[in-house]
Amino acid sequence: MIKHFLMNLLLSFIWVALTGSLYYSNFLFGFLIGFFILWLMNRQETDQRYFNRIPKTIGFILYFLYDIIVANIQVAYDVITPKYFFTPGIICYPLDATSDMEINLLSTIISLSPGTLVLDISEDKKSLYIHVMYLKDKEIFIAQMKNGFEKKLLEILR
Amino acid sequence: MTSILIAIVSTIGSLAILFASIGILRMPDFYLRLSVTVKASTLGVGLLLACAAYVFPDASVTTKALSIVFFLILTTPVAAHMIGRTAYHTGVAKWKGTFIDELDDLSDKKEDGSPDNQDHAAPNREI
Amino acid sequence: MTLNLYFDYVIFPILTVTVILVFIRLFKGPELVDRVVALDLLITIGIALITVYSIRSAEAIFLDVAMIFALIAFLGTIAFSFYLDKQEKK
Repeated sequence: MIKHFLMNLLLSFIWVALTGSLYYSNFLFGFLIGFFILWLMNRQETDQRYFNRIPKTIGFILYFLYDIIVANIQVAYDVITPKYFFTPGIICYPLDATSDMEINLLSTIISLSPGTLVLDISEDKKSLYIHVMYLKDKEIFIAQMKNGFEKKLLEILR
Repeated sequence: MTSILIAIVSTIGSLAILFASIGILRMPDFYLRLSVTVKASTLGVGLLLACAAYVFPDASVTTKALSIVFFLILTTPVAAHMIGRTAYHTGVAKWKGTFIDELDDLSDKKEDGSPDNQDHAAPNREI
Repeated sequence: MTLNLYFDYVIFPILTVTVILVFIRLFKGPELVDRVVALDLLITIGIALITVYSIRSAEAIFLDVAMIFALIAFLGTIAFSFYLDKQEKK
């Protein structure tokens, strides 16, 4: 896992040195080429975690950006129009994530996606208390969160 | 072409910050204010910094812009969480439309739970 | 050239209006935490203004100031909430 990542970095630095221009676009292009070469070379090996993880991470970031933009438009519409549409509530969200790192990343993502805000964590680290702006139904919201962000995040981290 | 792209992206960014400020003025309740403000302003600053990274064709400027966005994304949710928790524990009033509150039972229990419970919480907070 | 004019006549006025709106909340804010959040947002707008100004004047060096601001704003909010927590405990 870490060996593949270091190898990929080495390949991309070699690409940068060969082309002779240190821009981010060039570096990313070298990284992609290195990833492709490593994927071709390691197809027979059993340890494929690195090659599964990178596309999933990129997909997760794109999904997160899409979600942020859509929800921001909704909140902006609600801010401008004179009537209040929201139905706020504070709910208790049971966590699947166990380690501190996972909880930290998950709560950062929850706080950054508009409409939701982490207010507190229970003392045994089993549940988050989330302030939600558009709360139709508690069960539906929890199911959406579980199948959306938390499942995708845990797939990457584990 | 480049300047049109920059104009569009920077307009979207500054409009996001404008919505954040209208939100902080108009929302009826502290928690709603907090939850509108934090994200929209982060998105706006991120878009403006992306403009800056695109305008200057220099690796050092791109690194600076990336590090600013990284710091903001890392620190803003933590600050929002801290100030939101403090507000809840100091008893800032909720909006009347708030129809469900599951944290309420917990804080009641804490107050009933005598000094014993608070002693448990204290060393955690000092660290 | 035209981009500079656009920045002067559209982006800067929008950000200025934003600062005024947040200042109203900073004065009005019924609770102390409202003011803390308004202050935090004010510093974030400051970062945005510095960024726009550095694009406008083609001086990349101003972004250093924005980076320091991004770090300081966080510390301010954390300190405020820490001391408010302590005050509540007494």
